Amino acid sequence: MQEYFLLFIAAIFVNNIVLAQYLGNCPFIGTSKETSVAIGMGGAVVFVAVMAAAITWLVQEYLLAPLGLGFLQTLAFILVIASLVQFVEMFLKKMVPPLYKSLGIFLPLITTNCAVMGIALICQRNEFGFVKAVAFATASGLGFMLALVVLAGIREKLEIRRVPRAMRGTPVGLVMAGLMSLAFFAFKGMI
Amino acid sequence: MNKLWKEFSKGLWKDLPPFKLVLGLCPVLAVTSTAENGFGMGMAVIFVLTLSNLLVSLVRNLIPAKVRIACFIVIAASLVVAVELLMQAYVYPLYQQLGIFVPLIVVNCIILGRAEAFASKNPPLPAIADGLGMGIGFTMSLTFLGGLREFFGHGQLFGHHVAWAGFEPVSFMAEAPGAFVSLGLLLCAMNYFTNLQRKRKGLAPIDGPTHDCGSCGACGSK
Amino acid sequence: MITTSALTLFGLGLGASTVLAVASKLLFVKEDPRIAKVEDLLPGANCGGCGFPGCSGCAAAIVAGKAAAGACVVADLESMAAIASIMGQEIEEREPEIAFRDCTGGARAEERFAYKGVMDCQAAHMLHGGSKICPEGCLGLGTCVSVCPFDAIHMGPEGLPVVNPNECRACGKCADACPRGVISVVSMSSRLLHLNETTDCLAPCRQKCPGQINIPRYIEQVKAGDFEGAVNTIRERNPLLIACGRVCPRPCETACRRSHVDAPVGINMLKRFVADREMHSGSHLSIPCAKDTGRRIAVIGGGPAGLSCAYFLRRLGHNPTIFDAMPALGGQLRYGIPEYRLPKSDLDWEIQGILDLGIDVRLKSKFGKDYDIDSLKADGYEAVFLGIGAWQASGMYAEGEDLAGVWGGIEFLTAHALGQKIDVGRKVIVVGGGNTAIDCARTCVRLGAEVTMLYRRTRTEMPANPEEITGAEEEGVTFTFLAAPTRVRGDENDRATHLEYKMMELGEPDDSGRRRPVPVEGSETLMEADLIIAAIGQKPDLTCLYDENAETCPVETTRWQTIVADPDTFQTIVPGVFTAGDVYTGPDLVISAVGDGRKAARSIHYYLQQDGKIPVPELVQRELIPYTLFSEIDGVSRKERAHMPHLCHGDDRNRTFNEVEGALSESEARTEADRCLRCGLTCYDRDVRKEPGAAQNLRE
Repeated sequence: MQEYFLLFIAAIFVNNIVLAQYLGNCPFIGTSKETSVAIGMGGAVVFVAVMAAAITWLVQEYLLAPLGLGFLQTLAFILVIASLVQFVEMFLKKMVPPLYKSLGIFLPLITTNCAVMGIALICQRNEFGFVKAVAFATASGLGFMLALVVLAGIREKLEIRRVPRAMRGTPVGLVMAGLMSLAFFAFKGMI
Repeated sequence: MNKLWKEFSKGLWKDLPPFKLVLGLCPVLAVTSTAENGFGMGMAVIFVLTLSNLLVSLVRNLIPAKVRIACFIVIAASLVVAVELLMQAYVYPLYQQLGIFVPLIVVNCIILGRAEAFASKNPPLPAIADGLGMGIGFTMSLTFLGGLREFFGHGQLFGHHVAWAGFEPVSFMAEAPGAFVSLGLLLCAMNYFTNLQRKRKGLAPIDGPTHDCGSCGACGSK
Repeated sequence: MITTSALTLFGLGLGASTVLAVASKLLFVKEDPRIAKVEDLLPGANCGGCGFPGCSGCAAAIVAGKAAAGACVVADLESMAAIASIMGQEIEEREPEIAFRDCTGGARAEERFAYKGVMDCQAAHMLHGGSKICPEGCLGLGTCVSVCPFDAIHMGPEGLPVVNPNECRACGKCADACPRGVISVVSMSSRLLHLNETTDCLAPCRQKCPGQINIPRYIEQVKAGDFEGAVNTIRERNPLLIACGRVCPRPCETACRRSHVDAPVGINMLKRFVADREMHSGSHLSIPCAKDTGRRIAVIGGGPAGLSCAYFLRRLGHNPTIFDAMPALGGQLRYGIPEYRLPKSDLDWEIQGILDLGIDVRLKSKFGKDYDIDSLKADGYEAVFLGIGAWQASGMYAEGEDLAGVWGGIEFLTAHALGQKIDVGRKVIVVGGGNTAIDCARTCVRLGAEVTMLYRRTRTEMPANPEEITGAEEEGVTFTFLAAPTRVRGDENDRATHLEYKMMELGEPDDSGRRRPVPVEGSETLMEADLIIAAIGQKPDLTCLYDENAETCPVETTRWQTIVADPDTFQTIVPGVFTAGDVYTGPDLVISAVGDGRKAARSIHYYLQQDGKIPVPELVQRELIPYTLFSEIDGVSRKERAHMPHLCHGDDRNRTFNEVEGALSESEARTEADRCLRCGLTCYDRDVRKEPGAAQNLRE
């Protein structure tokens, strides 16, 4: 139990996927202009990352490893993730329309989100078991969502503040992300 | 020839990624802790980008529009696998250093972005020129940013100690926050100079390029 | 190895595509094909400017009807038109908007404390709500300047932000950034629809004016020589500037801060000056109107309220039609105010300018007889405005007042204005002390009679304008104060010959604050008269609202025979029926009718546009704002007020109906405008700079 608790803390705060691991930065900067959008995107990432981690784990364990095709990992994973996202989009649209309404719009943006693929790859490199991989994916996704929503809150305030022209938009967003990252450094000593 | 040069050179300054074309931020931030890593990453990107542009351009008229993104991804992924194997064979330490960011080249917006925005609409030669130019620009930027962070973070350049005696390294710069802040400040400087130039020409100042997923279009959501 | 990998990949790809293919059949959701079409036309920037998450979200919202075809802020007009055509709509061009700063304080605004913090308005506002005494004014640190993405705002020399209209794109960032709401993005329509709010920069005159005219602004324009600008400023609130420039009793001037120094600024003289200048130029200034909406509104009554309501409705893009029972428009302006105060030709010119905006008129059609509310609605009028005025003269409650030779004040003036020959005889008695009474008296003087006015209180209590009383005196009208009529005596032909009246004395003050007259017993006196005019008061004639047979009236009425309506929206208990003017307030000023006519037009606009919901701002200003009323004004030197010139004198004045008062000259007008202190809520221009630490003249 303790192991999983630590895993969660580590993945959300200490090794935050965006702020410490540099993953998923494009959507992190791109969709952090409004809190509502950030929440939707974060939710979609959590959802897809967990499913992707589970399925890629199965693909690796039962398909690639027995056949000795480890070098095809990248190709296989991206194929699985791209199909998965498509499938999830269709599934939600048909079966859970309310969820589709809040998350669906962000699903296509996730195919190329390196956080999702990155999480799957990290699980493999650390040789997590299935349950641990799913738990890690959940925690990392939540970490992404946390960072995204917090940055969106900051940028909403920045919109109406006097920011020098050259700093407006992405530059100031990046500096803010840097400061957040610095703040998250404080969690380093926790574990 | 002129046109090819134009396509090639735009990646070197006019549309210099990732500063003017804010794409592919993850590797930019992740691997630029040293100049060498930045350079290595850049070379890998040049390889994948040029070849994927060529391949996409060759098959551009064969692929149905509905599945084009999937095809682009498969092409890029195959090339990335090739790069992985090559790096494992020849520059294993660098491969180790870059970690999961080598396989993640496949989801780098710059690859899919160029495929969608340029290669799928142009013949092979300009596509190669575009890929090479963008790739070299990307490499330059990464090396520059890596050099900057390496110098301030460790007092070194390409692993050689270059700082003067008594130089206190700012370890902040080598870590994640430094990556965000230095990229932000570089973008800011870029905008500043752009507007300074526009001012000299008597044009109204403009806001810098904004980063949003839409500028890549790889996801197919248009 | 190669075979295995190829097979594996092939298998994976085949598996994935099979799953997707099956899923796409099984999980197929019928989607409006228009969504894809619309999405193709959107720029794909996913910028979020439309308020929807990404372009696909926007496309879905457009097709679902939740967003307009032009919702995208990035797309060009062409693709918006294409989207609109997919949706079967036509794209409408929006009315241009611009950032507008509502504060005149700037560098002269007094400070409560010296602020030495971060030079940012929002930061300054956090500290005790900002350093300025004025709770609403600009803090002047220029946050709006720095947030403007288009460099359209700069800090002017007065310490106030100045908007460059050519650069402003109405993005609203400045309005968001301003902590005090000084800057807002407005269109012409929103300016016309705005009601005074307590947070606006309201000089006392602007608070007091029933028409809510932006007085300081037009005075400043006069001072700067921008006379056309001044006319346009007045026309944002009052289309009847020729008429008001002549007859307005100027409530604004009673609130003028300069009256604490010498005499109030001659505000109305300036209005008359710019209005006359436009008229004498021979052509009407063009008046912009919003895009046609095609909504039709019936405006019943072509008096000041009806004209104002129709004018503002037209400027807001609607199509009003004015119905009037009389042969010409103008209402009391034409039939209640004599020629020598407001020449009919000037009035015609002004009304023509309003009608030229595209307002239909039906004259000589009487409400209740030729048409009623139901028939109007059946004819396609979506709202009705009742501005039928107060045309019934009140009686004297004296015995014999129905004898021949006894007239009501308004009856007399109307008959005269209609050109009827009235034999006034030699001696005329006018009962009453209001402007109507004086108008009757001065008219009779011009008709060659000897006029005596009977008023039951003294001169100081007379409600008429002081210069009207003086004018009447100069023309030879004699006054009998403290006298009330008791009986009209007639001859054998039932023609009035004498008026019997009783002397009064003043007792305790009544509700209106004036001392109540008490009769003196046994003081009855007889006075000879050929004509007796009772100009005691007027009330609305509501008979037209009743059905021929039914005893009930569709709208609610008061015991003063006025119509009951919501005091903010002017909507009666019948939805879609609005009212204003004398029929709502009882006899009142022209400018009140004009102001209320605009408010009714505003309500009708919202009623039509928002399915009957009429918003009323929370902070709407009703009373004078106490902290803006100063008891003394320091640092201002005296400047003499201009005098209105008289156009005709002596016999000419007593015998003809030529206009008496004239207009100022250009230099006089600019000198008079220079007397204005350009007040805001608390600031005003000082000639001497206030010493730091001097006593505040805020009234506690």
